[in-house]
Amino acid sequence: MFKCENLAKSYDNILFENFNLVLEPGEIVAITGPSGCGKTTLLRCICGLENLDMGKIVLEKKDITAIPAEERGIGLIFQKPVLYPHLNVEKNLKLASKRGDISKALSEVNLTGFEKRNVSNLSGGEGQRVALARALLAEPSVLLLDEPFSSLDEDLSLRLVSDVRKLLKARNCPAILVTHNKTIAGKFADKILTLN
Amino acid sequence: MNNKIIVFSMLIPFMMLSGCISESIEKKLEEEPEMPEEYQWEDDGELVIVTYDVTGLTDSMLSEFENQTGYEISITKLEDAGSILSHLLQYKGVQVSDLAIGLDNTYLQTAIDNGVLWEHFANFSNISESALTPYSGPLAVPFDQGYMCLNYDTEIVDGENMSVPTSLWDLTEDDWNGKVAIPSPETSSPGRAFMTATVDYFANDEDTNTEWTDWWTAMAENDAIITTGWSEAYETHYTGGYGEYTEGYVGDAHVVVSYCHSPGVEAWYNGNWTKSAALDLPRAAFHQVEYAAAIEGGNLDAASAFIEYLLSEEVNVNMPTENFMYSVLEDTDLPEDGGYRYHSTIPVQPAEVTAAQIAANMENWLEDWNTAMVAA
Amino acid sequence: MSNKYVARLAVGLYLSLIVLPLWLALDRLIWVAGFDAYSWLNSLDENFISQGVLEFTIIQATLSAILTLAIGIPIAWQLGRYSWPLQSLIRSILTMPFVMPSIVAAMGFMSIIGENGLDIRSDRSTWFTTLIIAHAWFNLALVIRFCEPVLSTLDPSMEEQMRLLPSGKTWWGRFRNLWAPILMPSIAAAACMTFVFSFTSFALVEWITLGENTLESMMADIGSSAGIKGVMVSKNELILGASIIQFSILIFSLGLMSWLQQRRQSLLPLVSENIVKTQNKKGWIIVLPAIVFAVLPLLAVLISSFRIREVDAGGSRQYWSTEAWNYAFTATNSLPSAWDALQNSIGYAIITLFIALPLGWMLALTIFDLEKRKPRLARILDISTMLPFAVSSVMIGLGVMLGMIKINPQFFYSLWFTPILAHVMITTPFVVRIMLPAIRSLDPSFDECAQILGMSKTKRFFLITIPMLKGSLIISSIFILAMSMGEFGASWVVTRNSDWTTLPVIIDSIRAVPYNNPMTVPAANAVSSVLMIIALLLFISTEKFRPKRDGGMF
Repeated sequence: MFKCENLAKSYDNILFENFNLVLEPGEIVAITGPSGCGKTTLLRCICGLENLDMGKIVLEKKDITAIPAEERGIGLIFQKPVLYPHLNVEKNLKLASKRGDISKALSEVNLTGFEKRNVSNLSGGEGQRVALARALLAEPSVLLLDEPFSSLDEDLSLRLVSDVRKLLKARNCPAILVTHNKTIAGKFADKILTLN
Repeated sequence: MNNKIIVFSMLIPFMMLSGCISESIEKKLEEEPEMPEEYQWEDDGELVIVTYDVTGLTDSMLSEFENQTGYEISITKLEDAGSILSHLLQYKGVQVSDLAIGLDNTYLQTAIDNGVLWEHFANFSNISESALTPYSGPLAVPFDQGYMCLNYDTEIVDGENMSVPTSLWDLTEDDWNGKVAIPSPETSSPGRAFMTATVDYFANDEDTNTEWTDWWTAMAENDAIITTGWSEAYETHYTGGYGEYTEGYVGDAHVVVSYCHSPGVEAWYNGNWTKSAALDLPRAAFHQVEYAAAIEGGNLDAASAFIEYLLSEEVNVNMPTENFMYSVLEDTDLPEDGGYRYHSTIPVQPAEVTAAQIAANMENWLEDWNTAMVAA
Repeated sequence: MSNKYVARLAVGLYLSLIVLPLWLALDRLIWVAGFDAYSWLNSLDENFISQGVLEFTIIQATLSAILTLAIGIPIAWQLGRYSWPLQSLIRSILTMPFVMPSIVAAMGFMSIIGENGLDIRSDRSTWFTTLIIAHAWFNLALVIRFCEPVLSTLDPSMEEQMRLLPSGKTWWGRFRNLWAPILMPSIAAAACMTFVFSFTSFALVEWITLGENTLESMMADIGSSAGIKGVMVSKNELILGASIIQFSILIFSLGLMSWLQQRRQSLLPLVSENIVKTQNKKGWIIVLPAIVFAVLPLLAVLISSFRIREVDAGGSRQYWSTEAWNYAFTATNSLPSAWDALQNSIGYAIITLFIALPLGWMLALTIFDLEKRKPRLARILDISTMLPFAVSSVMIGLGVMLGMIKINPQFFYSLWFTPILAHVMITTPFVVRIMLPAIRSLDPSFDECAQILGMSKTKRFFLITIPMLKGSLIISSIFILAMSMGEFGASWVVTRNSDWTTLPVIIDSIRAVPYNNPMTVPAANAVSSVLMIIALLLFISTEKFRPKRDGGMF
């Protein structure tokens, strides 16, 4: 079970405070809200890229608030896929897991045979699928998704949304999606929260 | 990081720039006993010689010394005699070499006064009286000598189209405009030697209204070519020497400052032929003696051994052919062959300036020279 | 290592390796000369050795900048506006002179005007012109590198539109109303850099214009007797006076330069990538001589290294031989072998690389890190890492000599790597300049994403940061190696009187042997050829890693 208790963060203005969330195993939650309301920062705080002002993050009864991002075991899919241009698709995936089955991971995201492809030649959708495959290979305890579908056209994003949902459900992996798009939130998540 | 610390550590040095650090470092050096009553050194089997390009130190001669004594020689080669003095003064108290070879009598006394030399204990005899005239003490030993004077091109200064100068003042005439090459006394030891001679020359001429500095001003106004070093004056500008066969020769000067025996060297190289001759004007030639001297704090055993070797008959008599200088030993002369001796001149009446006079006045003379040249 | 420690280490090393020696040297000069800036500046007028030096320095630098533009702009125009077969090769050949060590350039031009070439060296009046042309040769690449990208990428519709407007009907009108305003910052920046390089010219002035000095070469000449209390005090004043003037002029030029660069950058967005360019046969009239001009001094060096001129009774004769190479690579009493110099040079270059690259990188990281949190402090650090640019290489040499070796000569003379200090001082600022933009342009999400994937700091450094900065790291490295191998001014001051001879210094020493030795000229050229080939190899490798359209300083 994954729990956020009383999270708060502010820069010049308050981004969020008293944020509480409980994720049951395999549960998918979407957080919506207007752009600039601190959704991205919330995710960055949860995965440990930024520090919280207040609050506690608990994973399986363990307080992980002070654990650095690289040891937290929480995955994050960035808005634009972050793929390393000096590595090909296979080597990008290997960054997540040395022993994982790369070709299986690629086939799960419908990119069979993409191992040796140069990442700079991938389309937006393909790139996001590689990023997803890589995130799942790392076997995260929770996967955070920061508007990963927003840069894709509607058809593509809807297809990807259902693909990703299936994959997450198959692994029983809890996930938090932030998006400003209510339709996508509805299709993707079991539960929708709104952040003001 | 505390930004104040960075800013301060960057600013403080610039606020304190007043020479205080150097002063305290220097004080610490001076607090150490200046001249230990007994010298202390360690014979580490090495001999570090600081010298300028003395061609006389041939490879065979050095390896002969190494074989004889077992010392290992390393050489620090500097530009000229002046650099040797600067080098010794720079490292006063913390010297890095054992033996200085090539300080001449225009520099020696300054080195002695600054206490950078030690008394050697080499054994030798037979040094001629003339070589010992400028300095005969225990802190330095003469190893070669020669006279510095004006040389002229006899093919151009032939007595018909151009008359041979009979006074230094002649060179300030229009005929000589831009045709005299003199190495600067500020950057070259031949230049310094010649300047010293002019001090004596004009102090003893009949004319009491003019000073030596007036002559230099007149020379500067007459476009005398002042060069950084001897080789630039002799090779690039002088028409009477080997320069005309070399790359970069300009050939615009018919008179140059060089050794009185330079024409002899030219003849010796050229099969008894030269068009260069020394101009023997009374008190216009400078007797230059070059010294070997042990350096404070250095390996005195090794330095003394080398001095002894350098002054030995078999090494020193070869000075004229190896180093193109006179030997300092009694009863030696330039070789007759190739017209070496015939074309060399020993000035009848060289300038008379003692090492003590030089040491006392050199800084002032250089300043006066500078003022005279700037006045032109 | 946390950022805090990196920052402290970088700043600490920077202060102790670069700032402290310079400060100590300055302190020492002031201690000898007295704290009187007026008399320092005045001494330039009052000494024979410095009389007219400032005027000469400024005049030759100005004329050099003008000539460089006059030659460079037409070439840049041809290369930028038309398409050429083997365009990148032509561009590389024309850039080559800029990466040559100055001593090689000096030997090259000496060979061209020497007796195997035009044989005009014996005429003194040609020296000044030769110097200016040599400076133009050296800096030509700056004009081309600055102006060509602007010319070659300007949207053609700009010119087409201008043709249809009344003020752009004539070529002159288009030049005045379109090209000049767009090119001006680039031209001015190139002129500014050429002025700076010519102002601090040393090897070329020392060898080509005998009897004339720039402030830089004068400081080198009198530097050995500086810093001794009570001895030749006026020389200390001269060095202080010359340094102040040189430092101010360089600071001003660098400030101007960075302002011009900003204006240049703001004009570059006018560019368009899809321009169809035509060939221009007539352009060969400009491009071909330019190629010959760029290559000639280098060929002259190589060829004349095999040309021996023997002087004997009654004249001289010449013949072809490799003797000079043997001579140069054999040690004698008065000259070490060029092998020793080569080994020293390579050793120094590699160690310099191992110090300057991490130091420069850490400084760049520190600046980048501070930019987010303490922009003012970042700016201060940024500017102070650029300060060594305004300290010429002879000044850096004097800094090492007076500020470091002088403190404990026995210690520093026993260390083989003492000269490296000067090389580190000279190269580190360049590393900062190359690495800082690279670090800035690196998207932080690359590192964050790796963090999320569970990679430790060390792992991220080796697997993500280094590979992603690879290009800039390689360019920095080659830069360090090339600058260290070719460094002349500081090495001349520091190593000339020691066992630490490097290739550039030994070239100078060999050439300074009296010319009655027939090997003097060809042997100096033989070693120059070696240095030239090393510089060429390093240059070719940078061309491989250069981003396609940088148009920047290098």
